[in-house]
Amino acid sequence: MTTITYPLSRIEGHARVVIDVYDNEVFRADFQAMEMRGFSHYVRGVPAEQITVIVPRICGVCSTAHQVASVKALEDVFGITPPPLASDIREVLLLGQLIQNQATSLFIFTMPDRTNASSLFELSQSEAGKAREFSLAQMALKIRKIGTDLITLAGGQFIHPIKTVIGGVSSGIKREKADQMILTIQELLPVATELVDIYWEMSMEMGDRIGSWGDDEPTHYLASTEANNYCLNSQRLRVMQPDGTEAPSFDPHDFEAYLQIAESEYSYAGVSSYMGQILRANSLARINLTESLGTPRADAYLRRFVQTFGKPAHAIMFFDLCRGIELVYALEKAQQMLEGDLEHGETEVGYAPKDGTGFGLVEAPRGPLIHRYEVENGLIKTADFVIPTVHNMLAIRRALTVAAKRYVGPEGINAELERAVGRVVRAFDPCIACATK
Amino acid sequence: METSKDLPKFAVLQLSGCSGCEVSLLNSDEWINNFQLVYMPLVVTSNKIPDDVEVLLVTGGVRTDEDIHNLRKGRSRTKKLIAVGTCALSGGVAQFKGNHIARESFLKASHRLRLPDMLPNAYPIDRFVDVDLYLPGCPPTPQLFMTALKDPENAKIAAIVCQECGRQKLNDMRPTSITGPRSGVVLPDICLVNQGYICVGTSTRGGCGALCTRPGHACVGCRGPANPYLNKEPKFVLDNLRRVFARMTDIPAEEIDAVLESPWLSLFLGQFTDYTQEADLPLRTKEKML
Repeated sequence: MTTITYPLSRIEGHARVVIDVYDNEVFRADFQAMEMRGFSHYVRGVPAEQITVIVPRICGVCSTAHQVASVKALEDVFGITPPPLASDIREVLLLGQLIQNQATSLFIFTMPDRTNASSLFELSQSEAGKAREFSLAQMALKIRKIGTDLITLAGGQFIHPIKTVIGGVSSGIKREKADQMILTIQELLPVATELVDIYWEMSMEMGDRIGSWGDDEPTHYLASTEANNYCLNSQRLRVMQPDGTEAPSFDPHDFEAYLQIAESEYSYAGVSSYMGQILRANSLARINLTESLGTPRADAYLRRFVQTFGKPAHAIMFFDLCRGIELVYALEKAQQMLEGDLEHGETEVGYAPKDGTGFGLVEAPRGPLIHRYEVENGLIKTADFVIPTVHNMLAIRRALTVAAKRYVGPEGINAELERAVGRVVRAFDPCIACATK
Repeated sequence: METSKDLPKFAVLQLSGCSGCEVSLLNSDEWINNFQLVYMPLVVTSNKIPDDVEVLLVTGGVRTDEDIHNLRKGRSRTKKLIAVGTCALSGGVAQFKGNHIARESFLKASHRLRLPDMLPNAYPIDRFVDVDLYLPGCPPTPQLFMTALKDPENAKIAAIVCQECGRQKLNDMRPTSITGPRSGVVLPDICLVNQGYICVGTSTRGGCGALCTRPGHACVGCRGPANPYLNKEPKFVLDNLRRVFARMTDIPAEEIDAVLESPWLSLFLGQFTDYTQEADLPLRTKEKML
């Protein structure tokens, strides 16, 4: 038996792919998280109200989602509901995170795969090629920065935000700041759509070149956005079944009845399943579960996607295209929300700390994220973090097996397998820091 | 345009951390024009650090046996090594700081087949290699990254966070109780300590632009101790904070002590101060601290 190990780059955290080949047949393909963050251990005994400062540090890429989920879980324990203005500002914050994340995944992580480059910052030798790539990198970082600026505006800090507090948010968003941000978005939205178009084109060419869009077996999809409301500060979990019909939705309090999470022997990340079946979360799951995004440009991309690839769409490279649709949506939606009044009105409600168990759900860029805390005598007794990347673990493994079988045959192992492995994993945009919480 | 091949090479080695430092670096696009990024697994496909790197930034703490190996290998391939972020300087949030229940629970859950082994604790990187420059912060701001890369020798870093905060300290506003980690309405332009917040900006090194305290969030000390408290026992920085609160507030000393030792602050403040208790570590002089 031959074991091939591929270290991975252009993903968050330390992970590798291991493929066992026996007699020119793929025996096993595995995706392994090689580090362990262990926050569910560190936070034991921490005063409950302090956990919202600690858990954003699970991951610098996803800190916003963790902070909001954490605050929502404690609000659930204390039995309070934040005022509508606070929910809106949290939504702007989560949109900022979606922009930052999708721009990173699209342009920094996966665009180099389309041109077989090693990074967005690698410039070719020819002057023409160099100028084009340089401008792509500059454009991509500009779009990404809108996300960062929105997080700063609505979260008070560009990483590990602080403005979301138990009961609401610590302050509104001033008109002049909102107006500045709107101007930036207006100026850069055409740049974003141009980038998304270039990316789309490059993806079509890559699909033609390779002759496959990857694992396309129908699967369960999990998301917490609604069919006609893409609210990321979400309330319930929805599941699409492999045949495209929707299963009953469920409340985060009941997640254990639907999602089974198990430890893994060969990885520091666990794996989850839906009623024992493989499931997928992240962009493609949301888009498959969406009728309309509610903003004009994004809905146009959505129609084009559905007309071209059908609904539900299953091939894994569609995750990447769906991130492009979401990037456009998040920019448009953030502008819409900033045009409203986010300055005046009640920003937070008071609360009395108490003991109990609470659940906090948000739709993070990688899928539904749930924090569950058990509070006893004002301290965290146990903390569970239900992580979107973990929902995708079985799907990643299956997609890797599909790719490995494509490139391993009687003539041996095709060198293209290394690139394929990178493309497959990046389609799911896994986050290892979160997955090993 | 200058060809990228002529620019000085820099690399980023990620040990065990959250990638927040890398995200912060990416938030500055200024380096694109000044440096050639040759290794940074988060954004570049390259399996090894080239052996002619000018500057190696190391993020994350030493958590696994593999981290030690990669760190030593990285040191041998660079002229200059910069420790970046709270984790590289102290081990970070993964350090257990005397919490034996958490440590046992973690270590019990952390064994896997064929994967790097977890060490008993998370360690600062200068326990294993020489460090030329320290860049603290969780994460350091993009501006601080650029200073570290371009011209750290001539950097002017504010001594403490208060210097950049701009909030006024009042003599006649003396709170009698703690306002809580953060609750209630924050008055603009007035020092957070006057308003009863446990803000540790008075002992924390500046350079961050006071980006938490200006909008009204108490400093948690992520940039670590200011110069007078470097390489000193924890009690020096804690005593200074106690003096500040005694001078500016009427909050009972026991209440201040309880917060200063809470997990919320121990994330940063406690870690940097604990660090100094390890006798075999090299001194971190103020010249090496950005």
